[in-house]
Amino acid sequence: MIEYLLLSPIITGILCYFTRSRKQVETISILGSTITLILGLTLVLDVYRNGIIVTWQNALFADAFSAYIVLIVSIISFVSSIYSIGYMGYEIDHNVIDLKRLKMYYVLFHFFVFTMLLVGVTNNLGLWIAIEMTTLVSALLIIFYSNKASVEAAWKYVIISTVGITFALFGTILTYYAAVKILGETGNALNWTSLIAVAGQFDPMIMKLAFIFILIGYGTKAGLAPMHTWLPDAYSESPTPVGALLSGTLVNCAMYGIIRFYSIATKSTGTEFTSNLLIIFGLLSLGIAVPFIILQEDYKRLLAYSSVEHMGIIALGIGFGGVYGIFGAILHMFNHAMTKSLMFFSAGNVLLKHGTKEIEKVSGIVKTMPVTGAILLIGGLAITGSPPFGIFISEFTILSAGFFQGHIIASVLFLLFIIMIFAGFFYNLSKMTFGNPKPGVTPGEVSRWTLGAMMILVVFVIVLGVYIPQDFIQMIHNVVKVVM
Amino acid sequence: MAEIVFGSNTMQLLIALILVSTFMILGSTRLYSCVRAFGIQSFLLACVAGIVAYSTGKNDIYIIAVLTLLFKSIVIPYFLIYIIREIKVKKEIDLYVKISPSLIIGGGLVVISYYLIRSINVISELSSFALSASMSLVSIGLFIMISRKKAIMQMIGILIMENGLFLGAISLTYGMPLLVELGIFFDVLIAVLIMGILIFRINRTFESVDTSILKNLIG
Repeated sequence: MIEYLLLSPIITGILCYFTRSRKQVETISILGSTITLILGLTLVLDVYRNGIIVTWQNALFADAFSAYIVLIVSIISFVSSIYSIGYMGYEIDHNVIDLKRLKMYYVLFHFFVFTMLLVGVTNNLGLWIAIEMTTLVSALLIIFYSNKASVEAAWKYVIISTVGITFALFGTILTYYAAVKILGETGNALNWTSLIAVAGQFDPMIMKLAFIFILIGYGTKAGLAPMHTWLPDAYSESPTPVGALLSGTLVNCAMYGIIRFYSIATKSTGTEFTSNLLIIFGLLSLGIAVPFIILQEDYKRLLAYSSVEHMGIIALGIGFGGVYGIFGAILHMFNHAMTKSLMFFSAGNVLLKHGTKEIEKVSGIVKTMPVTGAILLIGGLAITGSPPFGIFISEFTILSAGFFQGHIIASVLFLLFIIMIFAGFFYNLSKMTFGNPKPGVTPGEVSRWTLGAMMILVVFVIVLGVYIPQDFIQMIHNVVKVVM
Repeated sequence: MAEIVFGSNTMQLLIALILVSTFMILGSTRLYSCVRAFGIQSFLLACVAGIVAYSTGKNDIYIIAVLTLLFKSIVIPYFLIYIIREIKVKKEIDLYVKISPSLIIGGGLVVISYYLIRSINVISELSSFALSASMSLVSIGLFIMISRKKAIMQMIGILIMENGLFLGAISLTYGMPLLVELGIFFDVLIAVLIMGILIFRINRTFESVDTSILKNLIG
């Protein structure tokens, strides 16, 4: 089951390489990502009904949390591949790229999806290998346009992420060392299940050191401040559908790594140490995002800083702890992925029409592109946490958990920061959406493909704000059980 | 067993030599000698792995030792030299921090690493010797990355950090399980390849590999 899920994007990627026309590569990409989505959903259902799956000599593994990551990755990658057809198609129509580049794009796109699925389903601390692979593949996607800005962004991304991930490897080695002392030198000493079972007996001193290294290391990939500096560059210079994948799923994969180690480390160190670290990094991320969002001049970077903010919120949720804190954080991962991808998609439409990323040079989108404009407003309301959208519910859950667990100062600061971010974000967004259209911009939408992709996400964003299905709640509760 | 392996004089000598090779990189302004010193460091590391494999009798570690010898001390240095030749980069390194302060800072980092490792409780005196050397390598690698302007030196910095972790893993746990170790190896190789591609792209778009010009994206 898991093997097929992993094979699907790889085979799609390879097939994309051997296509001969634009039509062929697009058909194969869509078919491939549909199959990946179906296999992903089957896996999620299977885990939901039957519990943990382990295959391939214990190397691949799926529990409720893995399934949750697979769910996010497969939905976003499916929607992104639909959007890609419209977006990259527009660029090929306007001679920004040629067929060879388009093929390369789809090959890398599906390989990238493969690496992110691998993060979810790899058993043992080999998680490190999968996360490093995501860096390497996505670097090639960031450098896609080969201009000065994208080369700079890709270099920063690779260097900063690789250093970060090296720290994470050190944390991994320390965890393995702590495990080997208890379990002896067997291959099992790296499996999640066997680690969790004996985690209580680990040397707390070593686990503290390991958790710090893991938090810094994977935190770099997740975009927690102050290790977030690569993130705005990478998001704004990569092709928009890739930006959506980076912000919607990749950061969640890195968060997944942190949370996995959190649940191992807390067993021996107690919750106080790990919680305090997560709360500090969470608040720092929120605080740093505030001025950059208010004074931002580039709308793709605006979205990137909003991602820093939301990763901070997830870290806060885990840090506050308790069933509600963790429930809120896990739910927030899903909501943020859907909403942020939606925002990137609408920003991509705006970019294609206006040819600039500067907020000042864009206005009156509601008039020129009514659907994109409306979605941009809905997404903007949703991403800043206003009711009645999904993110409001998860942020509110985290906030109440903060007060409930007695982290009063942190909760008050959290509330203050999100209010300031709301104001700053909407100030910038309203400059783009309202007003008179800029001269020279022809009215009309970019393509039906891009709108279709956005419609799918709008459904998630709106529905999850009003009504969360019972099964979905149960799924998240299963994840919370894995984490706690 | 840990005492026997890491107590042997050869082992201590090798680890000391690894530190010396790191200082060779830190104290040199010529790209070729930096690459050569990195090759020597990886060779010494392969020797350490070989001795651990011999004294524990585990075949897995032999494989790792051979791979280290093959890739880190031969293939990667040759690849680096290939890049230097292809892009016709100036052979001298531009520095943010001059050589003599660099060496003093490097020495300071080694001392700090030793004190840090002494404060946590590891198996024995002698494996803590190896672990503090590994910690020094990681911190000096990081320092090289931030104090040198050439993109290739940043690559070498990352590779030194990776070597440091390898030494740490070998000295703490006799290496990770083979599958994980191979995966890490594969990732390092791909990372070097991709950084190489990026350096070529930087050279083509900016006509220089000086990373101090990469500062247009801010805010």
